[in-house]
Amino acid sequence: MLSLCANASAPEDAATTRALVSSLGRPAPARTPFAEARFMKMLDKPLMVSGQLAWLGDDRLERTVEHPNHEVSTIANGEVTQQREGRSSRSFSLKRAPQLQLLLDSFVALLGGDAPRLEQAFVVQHSVNGPDHWTLTLTPRDAKLAQTVSRIDIDGRGNEPHCMRMQEADGDVAIDLLGAYAARMPATPTRDALVTLCEGD
Amino acid sequence: MLRRGGRVTLLVAWLAALALLGLFVVTHLSVSTDLRSFMPAPTTPDQRLLMEQVGEGPGSRLLLLAIASKSDEQLADLSQQLSAALRKDSSYTQVLNGSFDIGAIDDTLLPYRFLLSPTLDHERLDTAYLRDQLEQRLDDLSSPAASLLKGLLPRDPTLEVLKLAERWSPPKSPEVVQGVWFSPQHEALLLVLTKAPGFDPDAQASAIDGIHRAFDGLPEHAGASLIVSGPGYFSVVANAQTRGQAEWIGRISTVGFIVLLLLAYRSIGSLLFSALPIASAALAGIAALIVLFPQVHGITLAFGFTLLGVAQEYPIRVLSHRRADESAVQSVRDLWPLLLTAIASACIAYLAFFASGVNGLRQLAVFTVTGLLVAGFSTRYLLPHLLPARVHDVADMGWLMRARRMVDRLPRPRWVPVLVAVATVLMLAFAQGPFWQNDLSALTPLPRDLLMRDARLREALGAPDVRYLLVLQAPNEQGVLALSERIEPALDALVARHAVDAVELPSRYLPSEAVQRVRQQALPARDVLERSLAEAEQGMPFQPGLFKPFVDDVQKARELPLLTPQQFATSPLGQRLSGMLVERDGHWLGLGTLSGVHDLNALQALSQNSGGAVRLLDLKSAAESLVVDYRTRILHALLGAGILLVVAIIIALRSFRRAWHVLAPMTLATFLVLAVERVCGVEVSLFHLVALILAAGLGLHYALFFERDTGDAAEQRRTLHATLVCVLSALLVFGMLAWSTIPVLRAIGLTVSLGVAFHFCLSILMAPHARQD
Repeated sequence: MLSLCANASAPEDAATTRALVSSLGRPAPARTPFAEARFMKMLDKPLMVSGQLAWLGDDRLERTVEHPNHEVSTIANGEVTQQREGRSSRSFSLKRAPQLQLLLDSFVALLGGDAPRLEQAFVVQHSVNGPDHWTLTLTPRDAKLAQTVSRIDIDGRGNEPHCMRMQEADGDVAIDLLGAYAARMPATPTRDALVTLCEGD
Repeated sequence: MLRRGGRVTLLVAWLAALALLGLFVVTHLSVSTDLRSFMPAPTTPDQRLLMEQVGEGPGSRLLLLAIASKSDEQLADLSQQLSAALRKDSSYTQVLNGSFDIGAIDDTLLPYRFLLSPTLDHERLDTAYLRDQLEQRLDDLSSPAASLLKGLLPRDPTLEVLKLAERWSPPKSPEVVQGVWFSPQHEALLLVLTKAPGFDPDAQASAIDGIHRAFDGLPEHAGASLIVSGPGYFSVVANAQTRGQAEWIGRISTVGFIVLLLLAYRSIGSLLFSALPIASAALAGIAALIVLFPQVHGITLAFGFTLLGVAQEYPIRVLSHRRADESAVQSVRDLWPLLLTAIASACIAYLAFFASGVNGLRQLAVFTVTGLLVAGFSTRYLLPHLLPARVHDVADMGWLMRARRMVDRLPRPRWVPVLVAVATVLMLAFAQGPFWQNDLSALTPLPRDLLMRDARLREALGAPDVRYLLVLQAPNEQGVLALSERIEPALDALVARHAVDAVELPSRYLPSEAVQRVRQQALPARDVLERSLAEAEQGMPFQPGLFKPFVDDVQKARELPLLTPQQFATSPLGQRLSGMLVERDGHWLGLGTLSGVHDLNALQALSQNSGGAVRLLDLKSAAESLVVDYRTRILHALLGAGILLVVAIIIALRSFRRAWHVLAPMTLATFLVLAVERVCGVEVSLFHLVALILAAGLGLHYALFFERDTGDAAEQRRTLHATLVCVLSALLVFGMLAWSTIPVLRAIGLTVSLGVAFHFCLSILMAPHARQD
């Protein structure tokens, strides 16, 4: 493994960041499997779900959970709608779920290869962890949003993101393994193990 | 006639007295605008409920707000900021914008959620139920909704608070976009319940101003527009419209009136001095009101000044009837017996208002009678001393001589009154359409687009109809709540059948104590709950002790005294309930609001099956029955006043024949006005009746003076001059009102103008002297 060669000079870095983000773009609809582990203070074990994430174009996201229970959540037109097997659907405003707003902003910008949009919502830092291995650290520009989500780290290789880590201000963290990495979710994950996995092994 | 020094002293003293009276009025006058003081005392229970609902009921205090012309996101922000600002203001008892605010439930009331929510009616807080709930919460935590619920979870893992919020949100909620209500036209919607009564336009105006001020105070309001609608807003609009037109017309006719008097008397001095009796009358009238009533109604003042127009005739008579060589004092002395009869008869006519028993009309009677007496006596005892010593005798004017000769040559066949009477009866008999106008709102109609907008917002917000109310009656509050719980299933069935879109009952906000007690007894003891919770948590990742706040709340709820309406009323949500519970004569009424009534019969059947405990109240028909009662009282009072008037005129003139010559044209003209208006399709309202009385008062004066005409041709010319000035000035003032676009003003203007014209013509045609030639 090569030595960590972190941030180059700023303008050059901004250019490479933009080039990287543009390279991540793909046509809608784009689907990817995901496996999520959520570490919460309230819980002594992480919550684990897996399924499919889909970008349907524009500001529309669909998160389908296949395991352990079937559930579909849709974000569209500022509304979040949750549909769970055997229950009536529930919907609420995106405003009341700042995490989702940030998830939407980052996800749509990345899948759309839309660097300006990403930079509009976040302060973007780019670091290189190895050959072809990179991490984008997104810090919300909106002070109110930053009170709930302190940052999002997106790890990837080439033009393939494989990890998304959402660090909440209260210490809780949600780590999503994406694409081929989703299959690599351990049965009993720890934060450290997942961070290591994401930052590139 | 006083010497010059005496005149100045008198003038100064009079002006000083007026100034003092003015000062008293300005410092003590308190004007009320509550329209209910112009309604009669209600007699039936429905009418009494109506009177309260008209002012205090939740339906009439509800304002519908819409914020438009920005992006959904910005509108949602504005909606949140505006409702936050209004919630801080005690002028508004409830502000809803669709977002659920956990702060709306008082922290001390939070443990009551187990007694308020229906969960415990069919569930127990046992292992199985808790397990199921915790599993759902775990699903919630791994879902996008996690951030919403995370804070709530330790205290309320069964999400009772959200169930209550759902239960308490309006029955037919609008679409929620960005967390707040939106209309299909992309406006953010809000519902505001004002503290001010709905039909007090001034109080509503300040409540609405408060909303606009709060909105303009928001940092990002620029570019967005705020629309307000609802009964309170309408009363403000109607009030402003009427006042605006009345003032505009008043200004023009005042100028016209002054020009007319200048032309008639060609003396600025006479004009100025003759204004003094009227000014004294107005100020004395208001002062009498201040002394006798705690508050003076705005409408009393508006109508009062109109009715006081009769008094302008007194100085006009003095000016017109004065001979060139005669002192003003002497001419008034000659005129006084007749003037006194005129004053007394006008006072008698206006006393009819006092007998109506309606507070606003009583004020009107006190104001006008005081005013007429002051105007009359100051015209008799003060004004003549001020008038210029030498005047121009109007009897010598050339045009007047020609006019008088023309009037005298008019044919006066005896059959004219008979013909007019027959025509009047025929017109009254064959006029089309309903005779009476019972719908008071028809007199102050609102622009169509305002009504359409209101209907649109009401539909979008699912706001209740203002017309129907469900009235639940029981001996006490708990009885009302229990009754409300009992009929809930039947009403739910009606909603399911689409007989009605939604029903809001008191028990939706607060269950009866019996139900609360059952729920309270279903709550487990601490050790039992802790055991069940521990079993339910088996194999779940929740941290030990996480739900201690929940266990504590359940224990608190077990020991709480049951929630009473009084205690609930201290919270913002309880305010809503207290509007739905009213005490009446030792029993209690619960008021249920209905939205979108489609099948009236189904609702009536429900009330019939309840054996009188539940009634469907139609506020519109109650209002109409109130108006009918009202009119009956006024008609009775008028009949009484009419009889009194006949007696007074007979006594004053000491002759039946002479009294007939005065009363016949007046009566005939009054009915002729009624007949002509009916033929033109006018439905007669209370305002028409008031205007008819005013016209009759004026007509009586014309008839009295024409009847007096002696053989003296010059004096006859002076009578014609005075009457012409009076008729023209009345036609000028009321003819202008007749052009108004507002039906109330038009009703008064048209009726008085027609009345003045008919009274004048008939008084001349039926005057006795010409026939005796």
